[in-house]
Amino acid sequence: MVASTATLRSLARVVRSKNAGPLCLTLDLFFLDEQAYARAAGSPALSVPAVAALYGLPAEQVRRFDLPHLCAIKLTLPRRLCAGDPGDGDVYGAQQHGPLLELAL
Amino acid sequence: MSAVERLLAQHRPAGGQRLRVLSASGQLGYGIPLESFERGLARQPDLIGCDMGSIDPGPYYLGSGQMAAPAAMVRRDLELVLCAARRLDVPLIIGSAGTAGAQPHLQATLSVLRQVAQEHGLSLKVATVSSDVPRPVLLRALEEGRLKALDESAGGSPLALPQPEQLQAAGHIVAQCGTQTFVRALEQRPDVLIAGRSCDTAIFAALPWMLGYPEALALHMAKIIECTSLCCSPGGRDAMLAELGMDDFILESMNPLLHATPASVAAHALYEQADPWCVEEPEGTLDLRQARYEAIDAHRTRVSGAQFVHRPQPTLKVEGAARSGARTVLLAGVADPTLIAQLPAVLQAVGQRVRSLLPGPWQVVEHVYGQGAVRPLPPEQRSAHEVALVLEFLAPDAELARTAAAVFKQTLLHWGYPGRLSTGGNLAFAITPSEIDAHDSYRFVLYHLLEGVAPEAVFGIDLLHWQAGQA
Repeated sequence: MVASTATLRSLARVVRSKNAGPLCLTLDLFFLDEQAYARAAGSPALSVPAVAALYGLPAEQVRRFDLPHLCAIKLTLPRRLCAGDPGDGDVYGAQQHGPLLELAL
Repeated sequence: MSAVERLLAQHRPAGGQRLRVLSASGQLGYGIPLESFERGLARQPDLIGCDMGSIDPGPYYLGSGQMAAPAAMVRRDLELVLCAARRLDVPLIIGSAGTAGAQPHLQATLSVLRQVAQEHGLSLKVATVSSDVPRPVLLRALEEGRLKALDESAGGSPLALPQPEQLQAAGHIVAQCGTQTFVRALEQRPDVLIAGRSCDTAIFAALPWMLGYPEALALHMAKIIECTSLCCSPGGRDAMLAELGMDDFILESMNPLLHATPASVAAHALYEQADPWCVEEPEGTLDLRQARYEAIDAHRTRVSGAQFVHRPQPTLKVEGAARSGARTVLLAGVADPTLIAQLPAVLQAVGQRVRSLLPGPWQVVEHVYGQGAVRPLPPEQRSAHEVALVLEFLAPDAELARTAAAVFKQTLLHWGYPGRLSTGGNLAFAITPSEIDAHDSYRFVLYHLLEGVAPEAVFGIDLLHWQAGQA
């Protein structure tokens, strides 16, 4: 059984962010097992509006893909700035996963 | 007979023969792991492919025409793959030459390859694809509404359609050429094909298409192996072998410690993809929803089932970057909690003072590490005791950028702020000079779809004959 107050990081084996081209960020979450996946997939904390709020975006700009065969969830969102624009602090988009780690699922 | 000619003449897919495709590198120029590559060669591959570029490293490389990979390692890797391909007499295919695949990248890569060929006394035919898009083609498309935003960002794209002046001002503009363009280049029957900006799939899918393998299967194989062993568990950069049949392909890392498992290979479909099910190609959409992954043993996986839906007219993804100025970077640490607590206001005040001392078109871009430079941080997660300042100074010319950085540094160093106790100086320098000329700054001006333009109107194909002993 998973504990009643599990964080996302305790249920996942991969939590990564990366550019999908210079305009998009994609977040890949791979969970430990089917039970952990089911819990994450059903959690309001990972709903599209919740993730959008976490990243300061309108909900219609966030796309979520559920991949039960991989125990994975993918979230794709627009980047705040185009990669490499002045002010962008993460050209590869590889360090944007932080807000997800402590989510209570 | 050239290597491509020989393969096309001798390989018969229908006879149960599998095509052995060796992916040597997903980033040629950063060091191909030798032992795994040699294990791949021992498997008698029918072709060797390498991806050399990406848009990931940002706009600088495309805009400036510089390579991201270090020249000495580019040479080492090119020597390795060229000599191997000639020894086995198999085609060598390289995509996205020199990082960004514009004309200077292609020419620089060709020049190294040529040098290697001469040093090893090799005679060969080299087909080239140039990917630079003529400006009039783009201007006309812009005018006619055929330059469009990519729909990947669901309406939230941070890059607007460019103005005509921005298209004119861009350092380089390229389009990603697809498998069909590689096929056209391979019809020149070269030994080596080296292309400017390319879809990474084209590198590995074009010869299979010419040999009559199913398009979807070849593209899916190509999509996976272009990253070499990244699709394995654990992932790596070692050479990857695919054995392509008419109904499926078999994946095997050439590093025995990296295993292609059904889960690791299927998971790779997510990597750097906005949509895990659909891969958009110039010629159509690769649909992975029916893909099947089965273990052959602990090390190899069999893949089948992908589908390919042609689109009526090919679309091209175009990329362009323009110079936005010279850049000097100032590096400094701050370890005084009183100053850290009021840093935004202090940086603003210092900026105003410097502007009064040094008028002109310079700007400062602040990255305050520890305070949310990488991503917005809530106040309770910000560092109260030590932060790093990375301040970019951008100006039309390097002299102004440098001057702004130096004056800003000295002004901030001795700035008085409320509650200041540490009157010796506000900054900790790990290095001096602490302001560093940091190349020119570039921005993407174009990452869009170009419609209604035939690939033949954009991608130029040439065939070079290199003779041993001729300079």
